[in-house]
Amino acid sequence: MAISSSDVRHVALLARLALTDAQIETLTAELSSVLGHIDELQHLDLEGVQPTAHPLAVTNAMRADVVVPGLERAEALRNAPDSDGTAFVVPSITSPGEES
Amino acid sequence: MAKDRLTEVLIRYEAVIGLEIHTEITAVNTKMFCGCPVAFGGEPNTRVCPVCLGMPGALPVPNEAAIEWTVIAGLATECDIALWSQFHRKQYFYPDMPKDYQISQYDLPFCSGGFVDIEVDGDGVAERADLGGALPFVGPEAVPEDGGYRARIGITRIHLEEDTGKMVHVGGSEGRIAGATHSLVDFNRAGTPLMELVSEPDIRTPEEARRFAQKLRSIWLALGVSDCSMEEGSMRVDANVSVRLRGATELGTKSEVKNMNSFKSLHDAIAYEIVRQADLLDAGGRVEQETRHWDAGAKRTSGLRSKEEAHDYRYFPEPDMVPFSFELAWIDALAEKLPELPDARRDRYIAEFGLPKHDAAALAAEHALACYFEEAVALTGADRARPVANWMLGDLAAHLNAAGIEIVASRVTAAMLAELVGLIEDGTISGKQAKEVFAEAASTGDAPGAIVEARGMKQVSDTSAIEAVVRSVIDAHPDEAASYRGGKVGLAGFFVGQVMREMRGQGNPAVVNEVVRRLLE
Repeated sequence: MAISSSDVRHVALLARLALTDAQIETLTAELSSVLGHIDELQHLDLEGVQPTAHPLAVTNAMRADVVVPGLERAEALRNAPDSDGTAFVVPSITSPGEES
Repeated sequence: MAKDRLTEVLIRYEAVIGLEIHTEITAVNTKMFCGCPVAFGGEPNTRVCPVCLGMPGALPVPNEAAIEWTVIAGLATECDIALWSQFHRKQYFYPDMPKDYQISQYDLPFCSGGFVDIEVDGDGVAERADLGGALPFVGPEAVPEDGGYRARIGITRIHLEEDTGKMVHVGGSEGRIAGATHSLVDFNRAGTPLMELVSEPDIRTPEEARRFAQKLRSIWLALGVSDCSMEEGSMRVDANVSVRLRGATELGTKSEVKNMNSFKSLHDAIAYEIVRQADLLDAGGRVEQETRHWDAGAKRTSGLRSKEEAHDYRYFPEPDMVPFSFELAWIDALAEKLPELPDARRDRYIAEFGLPKHDAAALAAEHALACYFEEAVALTGADRARPVANWMLGDLAAHLNAAGIEIVASRVTAAMLAELVGLIEDGTISGKQAKEVFAEAASTGDAPGAIVEARGMKQVSDTSAIEAVVRSVIDAHPDEAASYRGGKVGLAGFFVGQVMREMRGQGNPAVVNEVVRRLLE
């Protein structure tokens, strides 16, 4: 199964990746090759085989509902590009006038 | 919006409505995938850790109690519980979600295929323009005794996911996104277990939507899974709304309406949206598929275009977590834990205490009211359940409403109300005196018995004492007495009033009434 360069541009946008035209060309070929391998699986008879999301035969890994100490606020904010000492500061997410 | 405008539109158009109801599981101690505490408010970013901040390398581990609560919620709403389930990643970018994906569920939710029955009565019945008020209906089942109807609303699924953080927008007007220069993000709420219930598009009117959401809240409160505060955002209801001409088979284009923080807003926003869409279609336009925000102040919805591309969430199985395999015995054990649900409770109040259906439903729908009622009845006796209910839905409700407090914060406790009802029922004080005692108890928190004692309020039921007062009143009003004997029997009320005034309200009204009539004859 081949994918087109416009598929790659779409996925790159969704993933917020800024790619050059050259990179898109390379990735289109590489991703087509990966998907070609997945295509092989389509030829197998998988009737009655449950989709497998995990290779481990393990289920029900859960934890008890018990509080454990987290991070101090200063520690939590330390790596943030911007903060006001109490909250993470992020750029505005819509431009003025976009509300209709 | 004018109610008749909605009714007029609903005669020509059918509305098709589905709800998405997010409820935070506040019954748990910790978040969905980490051990940070679950609570409301607090200093920003003080209940966070590498997992709920989405730090690289952190490993989320699901909270077993949150999964149990979700299964209990599913069992209470007649859902099938999955024997095989798992979490998925839902990818999108928004600053309140630090991982840039939300751990949610996709094709294997914990619960699916349930329903709840709602009853619509009163003004809301008129919104079913197609039914034309003609009972009984085909389809929704009629409840003829009160002129309402019953409808079954399907539940597509209930899945479990993690809540996002909270954002405050700075620099715009009134904290709005538009015009904001930057935003502050608090991750205290991020990772709180969040049940998302998706209804079938079985809802046809704004009132049905409101009743459905209220019914679910009532069930969640009875279970104790959440505090269901729409104001604090622990219960959030979004509505998918479309309209089509009556008789049309194809669905219209839907809009998703958000930002309703009360049941009234839910009703009004859907009503607005139905009329807006119908007006667009009437004018030859078409409805855009979009998200619209309800503005409760302006009483309208407005679209909010974002920079986001059309949603393309690219779900895939959460690789950090293994799947779940549940035994039937485990599900049965959780079913054993189900408490009495609001409908069953209402029916029991009718059968056991002879309450009118409306009163029984009002008490049973609100878990805290039901607990208060049952505590008071246990203290004063089942034969006094009706006056207890009357006091709760009358004076107590009015007092709580005026004071703006919940019943759990009431100064008049269930034990005090039981005592008050006992004082009335055994004839110690009259109903009128009881209202004064209640008002004083509500403001001071003093016990009704102590108030009656302190104010010397004891009711006089002694017939000979009352007869003496009645005689003196009749002697003082010979003209009125003659008129009464001449046939103006309505004057009995005048004499009763005079006697009660003489007795400073302490006469037993039933005895006074009897003595007045007897001595006038």
